[in-house]
Amino acid sequence: MASDRGTAHNGVAPSPFGSISLWLLLFALWLIMNASIELPVVLTGAVIALVIDWIFMCRSGTWWQVILTPKSVVHFIAYTGVFFVELVKANLNMLRYVYSPRIDIHPGIVKINTGLKSPIGRLALANSIALTPGSLVMDIQGDVIFIHWLDVKTVDPGLATEMIAAPFEKHLGAVFG
Amino acid sequence: MMELVGSIIILAGAFFLFSAGLGLLRMPDAFTRIQAGTKASTLGNILVLVGLGFYHPDWSLKLLIVAYFVLMTNPLSSHALSRAAHRIGIPMAASTFTDALRDAENEQKGKGAQ
Repeated sequence: MASDRGTAHNGVAPSPFGSISLWLLLFALWLIMNASIELPVVLTGAVIALVIDWIFMCRSGTWWQVILTPKSVVHFIAYTGVFFVELVKANLNMLRYVYSPRIDIHPGIVKINTGLKSPIGRLALANSIALTPGSLVMDIQGDVIFIHWLDVKTVDPGLATEMIAAPFEKHLGAVFG
Repeated sequence: MMELVGSIIILAGAFFLFSAGLGLLRMPDAFTRIQAGTKASTLGNILVLVGLGFYHPDWSLKLLIVAYFVLMTNPLSSHALSRAAHRIGIPMAASTFTDALRDAENEQKGKGAQ
């Protein structure tokens, strides 16, 4: 079962673009966290970012597979908006359950299918699902995601995909593929 | 004025965090408790961080990074916890009526035995 998760994406060669962008991201984080541009601080940050970058690139070259076009940027912003609306909805929903005198739920684990191919896209989808109303990702096996659903409305994979993943998948598909 | 707004936002965040704690106590089984803990504590955390940002506007970039970190790691930890709980067979609530993951695992075990 574990084999289809690890081996499927190791064939991708690490690209210099991915390496450089990861280094830039780490270095920017370091600078923001330190809030200082003194030479020793900057040099230490550059070296540490390089080491972490090197370790990541040795282990897998697939961290950076974002499709960068104006359209994908628009989709990413739309995704952020959808995400926050769903997050607030999830919380209000949860409050309703928590403060109701009798907790009336029908939990269960259902299957959904994802059309996303890249591992980072699937990671984003799984994280988004975990923060949306009443659903939590339990496992991913190939294209199938197993979801613990607080109030199961349907056990049909097609309908469940439509209800849980569809709002995110459209935007994430455009950004991560 | 800024401090008042910040305080109100932090209070709202604290309310969500309190609800997360209450959810942990009231929900029937491990998985539903994890759900309650994940969602309410994420929004509660973010609201507290936003409120702090009103108190100290010069911290806002750092607070943004912390908020993003919470947003990334909170679902991951809940996913790992629930997966481990399911694997060692923690009982689910009596009202649970479908478990596709257990079915899939049983199917695979059946294949392995043949």
